[in-house]
Amino acid sequence: MASGHRAQWKGFLKFGEVSCGVALYTAASTSERITFNSINKVTGNRVNRVFIDSETEERVEREDQTKGFEIENGQFIIIDPEEVAATIPESNKTLDVQAFIPSSEVDDIYFDKPYYLTPDKMGAEAFAALRDGMRKSKVAAIARAVLFRRMRTVLIRPQGNGLVATTLNYDYEVRSSRKAFEEMPKLNIEGEMLALAKHIIGTKRGEFDPASFEDRYEAALAELVKAKIEGKALPKRKSVEVSKPSDLLAALRESAGLMKTASHKPKRTAANANAGTGRQRAARGAAEKAASSKAVPQRKAS
Amino acid sequence: MALRPYWKGYLKLSLVTCPVNMTPATSESEKVRFHTLNRLTGNRVVSQYIDSVTGKPVEDGNDAKGYARGENDYVILTDEDLDAVALETVKTIDIEKFVPANSIASVYLEKPHYLMPDNSVGNEAFAVIRDAMKADKVVGMSKLVIGRRERAVILEPREEGIVLWSLRFGDEVRPEESYFEDIDNEADPDLIPLVQQLIRKKSAHWSPDMASDPIQDSLLKLISKKKKAMKPSNKTARGEPDASAKSNVVNIMDALRKSVAAELKSGKAR
Repeated sequence: MASGHRAQWKGFLKFGEVSCGVALYTAASTSERITFNSINKVTGNRVNRVFIDSETEERVEREDQTKGFEIENGQFIIIDPEEVAATIPESNKTLDVQAFIPSSEVDDIYFDKPYYLTPDKMGAEAFAALRDGMRKSKVAAIARAVLFRRMRTVLIRPQGNGLVATTLNYDYEVRSSRKAFEEMPKLNIEGEMLALAKHIIGTKRGEFDPASFEDRYEAALAELVKAKIEGKALPKRKSVEVSKPSDLLAALRESAGLMKTASHKPKRTAANANAGTGRQRAARGAAEKAASSKAVPQRKAS
Repeated sequence: MALRPYWKGYLKLSLVTCPVNMTPATSESEKVRFHTLNRLTGNRVVSQYIDSVTGKPVEDGNDAKGYARGENDYVILTDEDLDAVALETVKTIDIEKFVPANSIASVYLEKPHYLMPDNSVGNEAFAVIRDAMKADKVVGMSKLVIGRRERAVILEPREEGIVLWSLRFGDEVRPEESYFEDIDNEADPDLIPLVQQLIRKKSAHWSPDMASDPIQDSLLKLISKKKKAMKPSNKTARGEPDASAKSNVVNIMDALRKSVAAELKSGKAR
């Protein structure tokens, strides 16, 4: 199955007493970001990296390097790589389903890497039954397996005719959103502000195909390098003006295209009536953005 | 939870702009980390930069980023230079579009970040954007420069804040069709009720414990044992291999029935 692709892992998917032969294929790779060379500012030459002893400053060859764990104030316990290896359970080549959880409880913050999970010929029937059963029951499976020398938790969900297996980050690697946001004030936006914001959303609704996205950074960087070589002034971004809390309602009204003149106060009920004006205003905003940095950002009427 | 923000900038919806900051939602800081030591001296091994031509060590602060212009010819770029790249998306998350929540395929999700107001001036504007997305069940689409690349990002309201996901690029995600095209699109209808029965027996609620790391626990045990003894020990627990044979299950129906029966017996049934 999945002819023409190379499997990342082959083994068994086990649920209850059923197991079927499966393979994992990388669903997403990571392409390289722009790399720079490290340069010695004084000579303009490239620099290389070597490994030295922090005390004697002598080179340490690879065979003399070992692992250590820092306990306190710079004290280390030497741990042999073999001892580390011994903590890794031997792989039984099995994705063992531990539980099924409701799809609505899947927390994507834990998502690490996605894989396509496909059956071999013998396993096709059991695989399809699991896939359709999970889909009907609206659940995802939580499985465990030794993958790439670590014990990983894998979330398995039906997708098209197949299954997508996503490795999950470990519990200690994920920061709780509750904690991250705990110091924020509890504000609940209602009434006109919410209606206006919903109206703005309405004018910007659309579809997005992530596959069509273009990264403009490299081109912008090339421009910058050119300017620097030619000794030109480097481009400057417009400074950003933050909406003052007292201006927020006016900014929302203006964004929603409701504010015809500064003196005219729109009625609340008009929030959804002016989609056309809203689009016009949005188009104007885009034109302003494209214009040169001389353009004065539109200010709200006070 | 005063974590140092990883990025500071602005969140913008049309004419509404507020200062925000962002921190990664995941971190490796709790992971057991080993340092490289010199076996002969027990000292730490550190890396050092040496000039590729003169062979002399490069003093701290003298190494810089260079953009290759030609063979052995580099344009040096400072951090301020890099910050001057003429893209608004270096500092501003301008929400361009809204799409229904869950309409972006999960294989595109790359890395989550927590986005929140940077100071009290932005609290209300931030809350307006967040609550309107919540009310309309949409996520915002924007662009942001992260790690010297411009990324497509989505903004998802969550609790008091917003989760910002960077998305993978189109050429990084492989089309599922070429992997799934040979798989049966319909399962044997007699098997599905049995699978569903098994699902019910093994159903549970999500808990972060499900993503625990037993190997990290063993490593921590190994370290504390060493710390106590301060001498090497040869005894380390090898994980016992699961010997159960995994070959062809001939009759799936029987196996499913057995599974359900076993689950019933174990009394874990809900």
